[in-house]
Amino acid sequence: MNEGWLALLQQAFSLLLSLDPDVWAIINISFSVSFAALLITFIPSIVLGFILAFSHFRGRWVVTNLIQTLQSIPTVVIGLLVYLLLTRQGVLGDLKWLFTQQGMILGQMLICAPVMIALSQAAFSSVDRRAWETSRTLGASWIRAVWTLCRELRVPLLLAIIAAFSRILTEVGCSMMVGGNIMNVTRNIPTAIALETSKGDFAQAIALGLVLLILALVLNFILGSLRGKALPRSH
Amino acid sequence: MAWTTNLSTSKLAQIHAQNVLMTFQKSTLFSVEQLHFKQGDVIYLQGDNGSGKSTLMKILAGLITPTEGTVYGQGFTPKSWWQTDSLLGKAVYLHQHPYLFEGSVKYNLTYALNQLKLTASERSSRIKQAINMAQLNDLLGHHASDLSGGERQRLAIARAWIMQPKLLMLDEPISNMDKHSQRLVLAMINQLKQDGTGLLISSHQTCGLTALCQQHWHIKQKTIHTSMHVPAAEAVHQPNTTELHYGTTN
Repeated sequence: MNEGWLALLQQAFSLLLSLDPDVWAIINISFSVSFAALLITFIPSIVLGFILAFSHFRGRWVVTNLIQTLQSIPTVVIGLLVYLLLTRQGVLGDLKWLFTQQGMILGQMLICAPVMIALSQAAFSSVDRRAWETSRTLGASWIRAVWTLCRELRVPLLLAIIAAFSRILTEVGCSMMVGGNIMNVTRNIPTAIALETSKGDFAQAIALGLVLLILALVLNFILGSLRGKALPRSH
Repeated sequence: MAWTTNLSTSKLAQIHAQNVLMTFQKSTLFSVEQLHFKQGDVIYLQGDNGSGKSTLMKILAGLITPTEGTVYGQGFTPKSWWQTDSLLGKAVYLHQHPYLFEGSVKYNLTYALNQLKLTASERSSRIKQAINMAQLNDLLGHHASDLSGGERQRLAIARAWIMQPKLLMLDEPISNMDKHSQRLVLAMINQLKQDGTGLLISSHQTCGLTALCQQHWHIKQKTIHTSMHVPAAEAVHQPNTTELHYGTTN
């Protein structure tokens, strides 16, 4: 049994190191789709998080709770929603995005945004109000003051980005429903792992799993190095 | 309540507050019919804890909107068309416990300079003066969070001074500070006064500080009383009188 595991690990590593085109095509699709979804949602989500933390408009409580609820909706439900939107009879049917990377990006944006909004709202809510007041009274524009706060909150905001990215890179439900798991087109790491495991081809599944593990390690090291001197403040 | 900025021909930068009412959780904090704060004024703001001294300063700085009334600036350099309705950045407000941004002393000191259109020589001259005045020479490379309370306050005042503001409001600038830092801060405030900066200073323990002031605003019984008579130094309990007087004569 142990020998079997070792052989599988060996095969997985050789698939990765020999730059197996099928494996790397899957990795490429996974990262390009998830990065695109993250890039599109990143700035609007941070700004919305800031607005929810700093402004007191009517209905803020409802919006906050709605976003927090959206965080916990299963990805397969979001996949179903996007599927219904993109299907030929759907509202966005004319876009013909069903079973395409664009459709997957749209689905991942809906998964990613609530996580980033909620976590950035929590980060901005925890910031010392004097940081905003100091920046503004020293003549900083609205945009520069927000940027200053983002700089002050770089660790929790980075954590929000990493949490959102991890969620979309590893989700399987939405990608499977909206993307359709088409080889070289919409097959990403989670859908490929699910497929290969069901086929009994564990080597490829392990190879792709290793990529996700290595990524988690790299992201944590990046976070650790950026944390720098961001220690709890005494003033 | 409407924030308006009237740019008249008047040369002196000033802030006017009219019929201002500030409430907090449905109870009145303070009200005042008229307040004028202009360049050259050095005003001592007195009031008990919780009377609203900081709130008043923040209102004049444009950081808080009063419940009722009008606050507007006059004689300031016009800003971009989209910034004309704001008092922000006109009268600079310094917190009692100043907030220093994450980063070095130099980063904090030069934070406001990026907003100003200065030549390279003007910029470096201002930085040098600010460093000398606050005696921060040896601390420039240090992380701001490593500074002591007195050093933080000196850096905060130097950071505001570097902008050469026309109006500056200091909230308890020498509270909880050692004698050396008190002397330096007082010397910096004195320098600002001589430069013609309008100063609004709140303080509990104020011998040297009140000696600098020419006007007195007192928040008492939810009203702001203004007078040209500043309470005598002896009237206020002040254990560090000698040091503070020394500071003003520097």
